[in-house]
Amino acid sequence: MKKLLSILLVTMMILSLTSVASAAGASSDGRTVLTFWYNNSGDEAAPFEQIVENYNNSQSTYFVEGLSVTDQQKIIVAMASNETPDIVKTSTSSLNMYQTNGLLDSLQPYMDAEGYDTSNFMEPSLAAMKIDDNMYALPFSCYTIQMYYNKDILESIGYSEPPKTMEEMYEMAVKATTLDDKGNIDVLGYPLFPLASARQELVYGFGGRWWDEEGNFTPNTQGAKDSLTYNMQYRELYGIERVAEFIAAANTNRYTEQDMFFVGKQLFRIDGNWLPTQMQGYGSTVNYGITLIPGTQSNPEYLGSSRLECGCACIPLNAPNKEGAWDFIKFLSNEESAKLIDISNGYPPALVTLFDDADILAIPGMAEFIDATSVGVPVQYPANINYSKYTSLIDEHLDYIYNGIMTVDEGLNELESRVNSEF
Amino acid sequence: MQTRRLRQSSRDNINGFLFALPWILGFLIFSVYPLIASLYYSFTEFNAVTTPVWVGLDNFRQIFKDPLVLKSLKNTLFMVLVSTPVNLLIALLLASVVVRNFKGRGLVRTIFFLPSVIPMVAATMVWIWMFNPTYGFINSFLEMLGINGPSWLINPRWTKWALLLMGTWNTGTTMLICMAALQDVPTSYYESAEIDGANALKSFVYITIPSIAHVLVFQMILNMIKSFQYFQQVYVIINASAGNGTSVASGGPANSILMYPLYLFQNAFVYLKMGKASAMAWLLFIVVSLMSLLTTKLSRRATENAGVE
Repeated sequence: MKKLLSILLVTMMILSLTSVASAAGASSDGRTVLTFWYNNSGDEAAPFEQIVENYNNSQSTYFVEGLSVTDQQKIIVAMASNETPDIVKTSTSSLNMYQTNGLLDSLQPYMDAEGYDTSNFMEPSLAAMKIDDNMYALPFSCYTIQMYYNKDILESIGYSEPPKTMEEMYEMAVKATTLDDKGNIDVLGYPLFPLASARQELVYGFGGRWWDEEGNFTPNTQGAKDSLTYNMQYRELYGIERVAEFIAAANTNRYTEQDMFFVGKQLFRIDGNWLPTQMQGYGSTVNYGITLIPGTQSNPEYLGSSRLECGCACIPLNAPNKEGAWDFIKFLSNEESAKLIDISNGYPPALVTLFDDADILAIPGMAEFIDATSVGVPVQYPANINYSKYTSLIDEHLDYIYNGIMTVDEGLNELESRVNSEF
Repeated sequence: MQTRRLRQSSRDNINGFLFALPWILGFLIFSVYPLIASLYYSFTEFNAVTTPVWVGLDNFRQIFKDPLVLKSLKNTLFMVLVSTPVNLLIALLLASVVVRNFKGRGLVRTIFFLPSVIPMVAATMVWIWMFNPTYGFINSFLEMLGINGPSWLINPRWTKWALLLMGTWNTGTTMLICMAALQDVPTSYYESAEIDGANALKSFVYITIPSIAHVLVFQMILNMIKSFQYFQQVYVIINASAGNGTSVASGGPANSILMYPLYLFQNAFVYLKMGKASAMAWLLFIVVSLMSLLTTKLSRRATENAGVE
């Protein structure tokens, strides 16, 4: 009896272990199950859930199971294993990282086989999906980052128009910065927050690039040096620690009711197109305008330089149902689905036919951002396997500069030598 | 008769083995295999996707050339060498207080132990708020005393001290173990010392400490190992506050709170350098083993000198 019980126990355990493996496969109505992971949660996940439902109702071959997975580490580990989803929704910078690490399957063979028409996609968005002349994803949204300004503060310091050059912007920033009675910064004039924009758009506006068009790293350009010189000049003028304290408080309140721009404590804010919708949601009464990132006096053509980030969907290399995944990706990027995502989440579209869609243009700030994608200078992320580590090295050295541990020259020279020795 | 007993005994062994089998399988799959695999990966270039390529000692060479490895090791050693003794001392002092008989000691014990049951992520978020230089509780309190508080999590010179302060709050478990050890010290020792004219401090130094030295050493080693694994707090701080706001470095302001396990994690899951991360893990294992060995030897000598078994 005891022996029988022991055998039964062990058999049950082995069965319970193996049963996990047989869970996937087909849906109850015999359709092939596709798994789709999207890195959105809460309200932002709603359009993806709706699209999954629309797709499942539109055909009888595949059944998509959508899952919100926001942890990138989890996505990477899954993609590297045999437990990978069939479709992953991601954005440009992650797409490059996945591809350079050999995690993605190319969409090119599927597109070539059926002569897939890409003429409705905005050209820079297609370029963002292409690595070594192969398409790895299809986009449904694309955004740049531009500059917001507080009209009332600008008028109070004697200007009626936003700056067109970095030199003008700095002049306005100094005039607009105010301190409280303890010497803390009350209104931040120069757009040093968010720091990600200071590293990117504030450098791009000076003509600086952290990589060239071939994806080679360029850690020590004149544009980056000029940008950082202005940055540090401002920090030193008001105290490195005081500026850092303001930025810390701004970060804590970012995208909340107390956001520094929403409460009129920032003259300029370099940020995305979602800001107006959030301001409306929080009832902010700030009188703001949107303008292109300034260029410089000597190079006005840098006007509107910004990263180009696209929302897109791709197929992991180990995906079990690639044909089905391709079918769903096409559905996700068609006009109807793309519009649903763009409207629900407030993203500018990647599809040209949606540029003059009345529903999309009704979103606050959208018209300006759609214009910016055609007028501005888009900066694409590099397809370089060491990009993450490189970004981390840039951040590390910017931090040394921001904290006054290194001068601008020392920081950039040190960064250059680290890049040369590491890659 | 003997054969029957033998058969019964081997049947018991088999049954015992079968009952232990789930644990053995788990141990082999989730502990032994990853351990051996990580040793192999430490000699390869591996990004978790493509086939590992044998590179010999290259990863170890890279580790010693990488300035951030040294920096993260220094930051971690600060936590090990400064934070561990401070926390142990605080735990011992608290234990000495709550071990006494006084009214409401149950409540006091609960209050001191309470922080240990609060999830670290939630506690860290509260500390981030308390450390805020503009409206945080700590600087407001210091301001009441006329002291201009520092920018705790912003200024690289203060960040590690902020972590140290955070750590003192979480000494409940160590306090509890010290308290149990203190209760085991025979009261006759103290009575004899009192007759010999020893004051409270002398009793504490010459009786209490040597009597519970073995427990203190054990706690010291455990806390040291815990400090070498310092991850959660800095991960939360960097992501929730410093990393996105005051600093862009992935190790906090000027990498001042980049701890070794965090850098290991970044190598593995951000830069996908599994080979280098595995090599770092083995280096950590060697360092922790050496430190534990050293502490055990030193404490054994100290205990022997004090005449305690």
